Amino acid sequence: MSIKQLTQDAALKLKLYLATVGEPLDKAHDVTSAGDAGLRSGELSELTIITDLKPDGARNLRLIFETLKGNLTGARKVGTLHDMRFVFLENDTKLLFCTCYDGDWDTYINDFATKIPEMMDLIFGNIEGWPGIKSPTVKEFILSKQITASAWFVSHPNLTVADTTRLEKIGAGLNKLLEL
Amino acid sequence: MFLKNLFKRTAEKIELHDIQAIILRDRPLPYHGVNVFLEILNAASAKAFLKEIVPYVTNAKNWWDNDDAWLAIAFTYEGLKKLELPQSTMESFPDAFKKGMAARSEKLMDINENAPEKWDAVFKATGNHIAVSIFAKGVDDLNSKKALALQVLEKHRGVKLCYQADFDTPIEGNFNHFGFRDGISNPEIEGSGAAHLNSKERPIKAGEFIMGYANEAGNHYPMPQPMEFAKNGTFVIFRKYHSHVAAFNKYLSEQAKSTAEQELLAAKMVGRWRSGAPLNMCPFKDNAALGADARKNNDFDFSNDQNGKIVPYSSHMRRMNPRNSKMAVMSDVNLHRIIRKGVGYGVPLAEGSTKDDGKERGLYFIAFSAKAMETLEFLQKEWVNNGNFVSLKNERDPIIGLNEGKGTFTMPGDPLPKRYIGMPTFNTLKGGMYLFMPGINAIKWMSGV
Repeated sequence: MSIKQLTQDAALKLKLYLATVGEPLDKAHDVTSAGDAGLRSGELSELTIITDLKPDGARNLRLIFETLKGNLTGARKVGTLHDMRFVFLENDTKLLFCTCYDGDWDTYINDFATKIPEMMDLIFGNIEGWPGIKSPTVKEFILSKQITASAWFVSHPNLTVADTTRLEKIGAGLNKLLEL
Repeated sequence: MFLKNLFKRTAEKIELHDIQAIILRDRPLPYHGVNVFLEILNAASAKAFLKEIVPYVTNAKNWWDNDDAWLAIAFTYEGLKKLELPQSTMESFPDAFKKGMAARSEKLMDINENAPEKWDAVFKATGNHIAVSIFAKGVDDLNSKKALALQVLEKHRGVKLCYQADFDTPIEGNFNHFGFRDGISNPEIEGSGAAHLNSKERPIKAGEFIMGYANEAGNHYPMPQPMEFAKNGTFVIFRKYHSHVAAFNKYLSEQAKSTAEQELLAAKMVGRWRSGAPLNMCPFKDNAALGADARKNNDFDFSNDQNGKIVPYSSHMRRMNPRNSKMAVMSDVNLHRIIRKGVGYGVPLAEGSTKDDGKERGLYFIAFSAKAMETLEFLQKEWVNNGNFVSLKNERDPIIGLNEGKGTFTMPGDPLPKRYIGMPTFNTLKGGMYLFMPGINAIKWMSGV
């Protein structure tokens, strides 16, 4: 590494230090590896995929999203999904898929194959090479497409979707009691 | 034997004659038996041993009849390597099986008190290659079958007996060391010829438990190659638990005053009364006749108790088989079932004693599944040592969870739930391993390659 680069790096670190001075790092937001790929923060993990779409892939997906008016309520059924994002790239030839979920993604992959196989294949079947949710190779396929994020922040890394639902209910119930 | 009358000999669609009996047979009542580990010193000698032992391996034909003594045989990955099976066969095993149970301890939550470093020496040893189990209704039957097996063993010097552990019904009448009826509720396997005892459940596809058949997704789970080796085989989970019966009794006596309250708390933790009677069929007191009636004691689900006020979501039985419970996380219950054939070991503690006598007692947990490694990791991580799937944050199973004095147990009630705290681990893991249990023809194939 050249002297110039070393000086530049030191300057950047100094600027970062000055910008964050007085803000100690909170252990709760430590990020670790989510296993074979992806990051994990507390109970939550992230999954990012950029992959080729089949020729009609973007068209099919747009039709699905338009029919649903962009509302993916159905995904609540899964119970571990915090968010999900579909972005078309490079003239509709590629898909960026990002999601944040509780635990490890592969834990429930078999359950997807028997509980919501049609929905899984309807959406992800538009990806080039998708082996089908029931295929024994589906885990390896997803893993091969996964890009681990370089950095990731979540506000409440220890609150799962189930926790949030429960706390929302408790809060509402408590308010009702206080309003009596 | 009344069990015989419970099974219809119809609709048998799986190759019972080629599947090992232990997978489908119920343990006799009472049972006597022995688990043996063998070390392979020489492949040729071990193959000759297999060839000679095959006729004594009991198959599952007439599996509802368990009057005679029966022998089962299974192999660790190290054992299969020692047998010098083809390289392609060795490579075709799932990764978790190749690595073994101890190496996957993080994924299994086998940490702290349950960590492999704390296991019994025999489970840390590298010479556990072949496991042989013999079950019998009577001691004489057991001894004669044992003698036959030993005769075969003695002829083959390349196979060495390195561990032998006897087991017996812990408490007369098929009760475990904690005093609860054991061995109730195994999944019904489609095509096995079993009578339908639970009207709320449907039989599960054979491929979930035995290789070579379609699973619930209409597919096959990854299996070792070639097919003649995998067909009618299964993976075995073997785990030795040390049961802390005195600690359990003590915890009950600290949390509840009267005996009736203590019994209710124990039933809430297990999901059944000691007799085996399911709590949601008799919420207020035990019903011994119901508990003993195999036609009735498993015929229920939780659809009438969705708030868990009768059977807490955290109870052991509800966690291990949520039977139509509404769960916070989408799960297919049928994918996470296992066939359990656990057996107790050690002498029972004096009834109700809260003082540990220092003697070892517990359970050899033996279970079967075509994807046993995946299933055990799922169960340990999601249903045993977590509570998120039923909105209980990280609360763990009160009976087999790793609670370490910090465990909680939530009991829904009116109007507020009651929460028990400071729960210790009542069953500590003392060792474990994965094994492959081949079909009868596959053993012959192994002895010939």
